[in-house]
Amino acid sequence: MRYLRLYLHFLRFSFSRAMEFRLDFFFKIIMDCMFYVVNLGFYKILFLTTPMLAGWSEDQTMVFVSSYLLVDALHMTVFASNMWWLPYYVNRGDLDSYLIRPVSTLFFISLRDFAANSFVNLLIALTIFVSALANLQTPYTTGQLLFYLGCILNGWLLHYVLQMIFIIPVFWTQSGKGFNDFFFSMGMAIERPDLVYRGVLRWVLTLILPFALIVSFPARLFFGPATPNLFLHLVAVTLGMWGLMLWLWRKGLRAYSSASS
Amino acid sequence: MGMIEVSGLSKTFKVSTKEPGLLGSIRGLVNRKYVTKAALQNVSLKVQQGEMVGLIGANGAGKTTLVKILAGIIHPTEGKVSVLGFNPWDRNDQLRRQMALIMGQKAQLWYDLPALDSYMLLKEIYQIPEALYRQQIEFLSDVLQIKDQLKVQVRKLSLGERMKVELMGALLHRPNVVYLDEPTIGLDLMAQKAVRKFLKEYQREFRPIILLTSHYMEDIKELCPRVVLIKSGGLIYDGALTTIQKQFGERKKLILTLEEKLTTLPDFPAELGQLEMSENKLSLTTSRAQLNGAMDLLLKRYQPQDVTIQDPPIEEVIEDFLQKGQQ
Repeated sequence: MRYLRLYLHFLRFSFSRAMEFRLDFFFKIIMDCMFYVVNLGFYKILFLTTPMLAGWSEDQTMVFVSSYLLVDALHMTVFASNMWWLPYYVNRGDLDSYLIRPVSTLFFISLRDFAANSFVNLLIALTIFVSALANLQTPYTTGQLLFYLGCILNGWLLHYVLQMIFIIPVFWTQSGKGFNDFFFSMGMAIERPDLVYRGVLRWVLTLILPFALIVSFPARLFFGPATPNLFLHLVAVTLGMWGLMLWLWRKGLRAYSSASS
Repeated sequence: MGMIEVSGLSKTFKVSTKEPGLLGSIRGLVNRKYVTKAALQNVSLKVQQGEMVGLIGANGAGKTTLVKILAGIIHPTEGKVSVLGFNPWDRNDQLRRQMALIMGQKAQLWYDLPALDSYMLLKEIYQIPEALYRQQIEFLSDVLQIKDQLKVQVRKLSLGERMKVELMGALLHRPNVVYLDEPTIGLDLMAQKAVRKFLKEYQREFRPIILLTSHYMEDIKELCPRVVLIKSGGLIYDGALTTIQKQFGERKKLILTLEEKLTTLPDFPAELGQLEMSENKLSLTTSRAQLNGAMDLLLKRYQPQDVTIQDPPIEEVIEDFLQKGQQ
């Protein structure tokens, strides 16, 4: 409850601040809408030439695409701006003022800034997602839908964990740009169905850098047939990645040298 | 009684070095060289509840490193630290609820929001009971004379006002241990005075442990009966400020007030000190050892109306002391 109350403060602060900068507020909304149009347009064009993609029909693929747009919007709204700042906090010693507070430092630095201008985009992404679900020909029960939503939320948190794993090395390397660029390049794998990947790349994307588990695995579980192995794989890798991130975070804090005054 | 105990504390940093120029950068990319820099070396000290201690040293001496270790921000390489019975780098919430760190060069409040908004968040973070929160807001804003600025965005405040709202934010939860790192840096004289007055009053009222680092000797002189001198990471003095002046003040100033105005500077052996004149006054800056001989010589030549012997300013004594180190 205490952490919820703290988060409500963060929300209040972020909305007050975002509305101070009007131009930035509206520009961000326009930019994200363009991102949605480009992504949806890409698959629409693709389906003009083929009836199926990696075993999915167009209506199924649109649910998949709208799902990763939703994950992206959630990430941009809740975590992205905080994570953008973390390397600066580490290098400039600004992490000091978070470390002295009697509250989880990871919670504080991950959730402090809620991107209020991305919140409008989150609503747009949600609308696209609901509309894609409404057009889905595959029958599903409420239970299956709730399970799918749970898996998508898990994918959103996994996305956060993976990005943190790529950011935390800044405690040792000082510059996180290379890692960050690598994360974004690999992160594009989220936008494709995992069955299009073969061989070593598939092994990497489902186990080592499990971007394919963020949306593609949940979509496969949703469209069926849902296999226990697929679900166990999702749970085990997610837990493993959380463990790895927390371990790295603790090591990073131990290596933190702050900055001279 | 709570206290701080430090024993055998050392901290080293591994820093990369680079030859100048592009070639140096390429060499560094292939074969990076590192040097180990000792920021703290075998420091031991004890601070009792209610004490206000000044940490003095040149830039890079290790003062801030010491404060950051005590605050649990960085890990030491060696040594033991106990703050109110806790190991600070365990980052126990019980300890963190009882301490505050104020860095003169770093803002901790939300910049785009009024201070009162940030205080509401701090109330939640430190779980400050409503009654105490109101009492603290009332007391602190009153003593700091900052009531009217609490609803103004922090970024729109002057530097002095900003430091006051920062101080207020850091002390809202009434901490038992307060680390102040350069709290008056960059402030004008009036603001420095106001901050000092506030700290004095706060200390008298609540008796927390206060560790203060400052390059302004006025801060140390007014606030800290006890000082710790740090040079190149090592503790070279721990004791009363007045003792430094008495025991280690190498130089003395002898002033003779004469009946008549002097027109020319009299001849005086340079080895006995440096003589200066102004109106009817002759001033001699000499070493403690030479003082008697120099005074005998001057008193043989002049019959002054008044003779005074002054200790040099504390700033000079400490400067000398830091230059020479522990001898």
